[in-house]
Amino acid sequence: MKRRRWSMGLAVAALGAVAMAGVVNTAEADTAPVTFTVGLLQDIDSFNVTAGYLVASFEAWNMQYATLTDKAADDFSTIPGLAATWDKSPDGLTYTYHLRKDLKWSDGEPLTADDIAWTINTSRDQEWINHYATTQNLTATAIDASTVEITSSVPDPKLPTMDVYIVPKHIWESKAADDITTYDALDGVGSGPFTLKSRNAGQDWTMVANPNYWGGKPQVDQVVFRVFTEGSAMVAALKSGEIDFVHDVPSEAFDTLKNEPNIVAISGAQGGFSELAMNGMQGGLGDGHPALQDITVRHAIAMAIDRPALFDRVIHGQGVMNDTLGVSADPVWTPEIPADQQLNYDPEAAKKLLDEAGYKDTDGDGIREMPDGTKPLNFRYAELSDSDNAPAIRELITGWLKAVGIGTEVSTYDQTQLTDVIASGEYDMFVWGWTPYVDPDPMLSYFTCDQVTTDVASVGYNDANWCSDEYDKLYTQQNQELDVNKRIDLVHQMVTLFYTESTYVVLYHDADTQAYRTDRFEGWQRQPKDTGPALFTNSSPTYQTLKPIAGGGSSGDSSNTGLVVALVAAGVLVLAGVGVFLTRSRKQRDDRE
Amino acid sequence: MRPRFVIGKLLGALSTIAFVVVFDFFLFRVVNGDPINSMFRGRNLTPAQLDRLRVKFNLDGSKWEQFVAYVRQLLHGDLGYSLKSSRPVATVISEAIWPTLLLVGTATLLAMIGIMIGYRAGWRRGSKFDAGATSMSMLTYSMPEFWIGMVALGVFAAGLGWFPVGGLNKPGSTETGFSRLLDQLHHMALPALVLGVAYIGEYMIVARSAMIDTSREDYLQLARAKGLRDAEVRKRHAQPNALLPVVSLSAINFGFVLSGAIAVESIFSWPGIGQQTQFAISGPDFPMLQGLFLLISAAVIVANLAADLLYGYLDPRVAGR
Repeated sequence: MKRRRWSMGLAVAALGAVAMAGVVNTAEADTAPVTFTVGLLQDIDSFNVTAGYLVASFEAWNMQYATLTDKAADDFSTIPGLAATWDKSPDGLTYTYHLRKDLKWSDGEPLTADDIAWTINTSRDQEWINHYATTQNLTATAIDASTVEITSSVPDPKLPTMDVYIVPKHIWESKAADDITTYDALDGVGSGPFTLKSRNAGQDWTMVANPNYWGGKPQVDQVVFRVFTEGSAMVAALKSGEIDFVHDVPSEAFDTLKNEPNIVAISGAQGGFSELAMNGMQGGLGDGHPALQDITVRHAIAMAIDRPALFDRVIHGQGVMNDTLGVSADPVWTPEIPADQQLNYDPEAAKKLLDEAGYKDTDGDGIREMPDGTKPLNFRYAELSDSDNAPAIRELITGWLKAVGIGTEVSTYDQTQLTDVIASGEYDMFVWGWTPYVDPDPMLSYFTCDQVTTDVASVGYNDANWCSDEYDKLYTQQNQELDVNKRIDLVHQMVTLFYTESTYVVLYHDADTQAYRTDRFEGWQRQPKDTGPALFTNSSPTYQTLKPIAGGGSSGDSSNTGLVVALVAAGVLVLAGVGVFLTRSRKQRDDRE
Repeated sequence: MRPRFVIGKLLGALSTIAFVVVFDFFLFRVVNGDPINSMFRGRNLTPAQLDRLRVKFNLDGSKWEQFVAYVRQLLHGDLGYSLKSSRPVATVISEAIWPTLLLVGTATLLAMIGIMIGYRAGWRRGSKFDAGATSMSMLTYSMPEFWIGMVALGVFAAGLGWFPVGGLNKPGSTETGFSRLLDQLHHMALPALVLGVAYIGEYMIVARSAMIDTSREDYLQLARAKGLRDAEVRKRHAQPNALLPVVSLSAINFGFVLSGAIAVESIFSWPGIGQQTQFAISGPDFPMLQGLFLLISAAVIVANLAADLLYGYLDPRVAGR
């Protein structure tokens, strides 16, 4: 009997507690902070700017660390950040930045020119992975607390843009150079609109509004980033209102979201593209097919591929139909290819080109041979195993090539293997893609002769094994040209040259597919204007302007407290029932003995 | 139990773990390729910067040198740094273990109902109860976990909105104490039920067949002849003897607890070992994969060792042989 009373007591106590918790829950919802919740398919890799490299990390840094100059939401133009104004020296090598008045870190410490000089100089000396490309030629000097002078040892067309994350010296200077990259950087001290409050690895991280933000305290109290491992589960959470924003909407869900009430689905381009690359065998290692060193064959291949059809059928039009190299998130750097140089889809013309150049099918097997009749045009075609689009692209491209008499042998690799295959030069063609920065210089530099891999121990970025003196000359010129219009012209020449050389057949520019609820928050800013994404952009301006819609409520408080109470109560009752049953059967047994 | 039996089993387990250490290391390196080159593709880094990253992640030097460094680290209890997060592998794993233990442990407890059902069904073989229970178990046993998960998510979370779509807690919540616990239970209910349903069939079927085997034994006839009631014969004479296969199934399953339920953790974004494995595979994050595989293999080996020793204790004939 004792046991039964015990289990009944437990059940009653549990029920009481559950009911109380329900009351507490409801009360709490009224005072809850304004929370904006973002769902994404990636966990942050590191909050440390010297270690992280994933998109999610850049988004957190965009929120936490202000930069000396900011980028406009509409067109990436350089606008004041921590610096209010700046002056240029006559030789264009030195810029003097004047900071805003009374800048403070989120922990209340003053933010001075010293923090800026320390970040720039230390990142240069220690070669921080996300800073060094910008700071390698710079020397920063704090003139006084609110003035910093930055001198470049070479002409640098990127200046006065100074878009490197400035970290708080008072937190970071104690980290030794050797283990600075293993610092977890969970201090949450920054100068941007939001700073890190907490992190649950694999689940979520929360950024709270920075009360000391120089642009004024944001109108959203906190931004929660929630990690999903399943795209469809993430979309379901947006529909049910558990989250307000989805980054990387699975393509099959994109069109259905467009028809949902209170949800907007956008596809935002930032210059990222996919390409069919061909092994040019110009200076690098390997055994690429000799036919691909003939520009006529490359032109024929470009004309055999129906890019508009790929765009519609592979990425369902969720991107930009553009077949030039994407060198920047800013479309100003992308030229219009002159009509007479365009290599549009025309299989008959492709066949004619190959015929005229002597690539004929001499043995009647449907595959052309080299002009000397020896090697057939059978190309090794490599693709990525972890790309959702690779199978569809392969089916279409190999079919189109077959139609003009070119054979393919397909191999599938993961990213690490494919990088290795490309470095060794043992391939003929592959499909992959790139995402450029805002400044076109890095993307352009990847196709210079210097970046051709000549030693597998030191792999360059030039994955097409392609090298051109003319291109290199133009590269050096744009790299030193301080007049922006002249530089745009030089870059246009380079991209046009790269297009006509056809070492890459750019298939399309892909896009970030995103979706958000329109009934809770407003103030969205796409970067660049109209065509870019709303979050996860180059400088993520939306967080500064986002504000709740009156009466819209914030995400996450949709959990049905009453139902939880009922369900838990039901569970407790079942358990109590089992307990009673067990006690009774034991009692019966005891009675019999 | 004889000491020789125990020592033999222990040595066997230790040498298996040693084999796993070596095997895992080379397994992930069979395919050539430098993860640093692919991870930092398009990041505009200089060759010197890339070299420094290789040193940081113990990817410089020959495979043999890397192996020696790995074993030396391991002996110091250091599993290295994750390529992706730059965090110590041991820290990442120790954070992910608890959610997995909680989820799979709860599901296993739920699945214990299957043992009770199995005993009853096996005892009354051919009855309506048996037919119903067996076909239900076959049905749930044959349904893939991810499929049950997707359906449950679609109906109860996304559709009816009774449960959250995933995660361990409401993100960004400031709740503490009991209301936090309640929130956690709310989040766990659906994945634990899905896993429980998936496990229940297995337990039921094993318990049922063990009971059927036992029910043919002569000593049960004797018990009935003594005039004991049917329920007494089942509880006191049949069930204890039908326990052995169930014990070994539970022990082996317990080993697999740590490998998590990759499919279910992935559908419900549950921050456990299964989710970490999924993240690491998509890297590939060698140090994380090595750490995870070592942990999972060690858990299975230890669970098997425990099952062997328990078996020896429950059935002295095993240890004596």
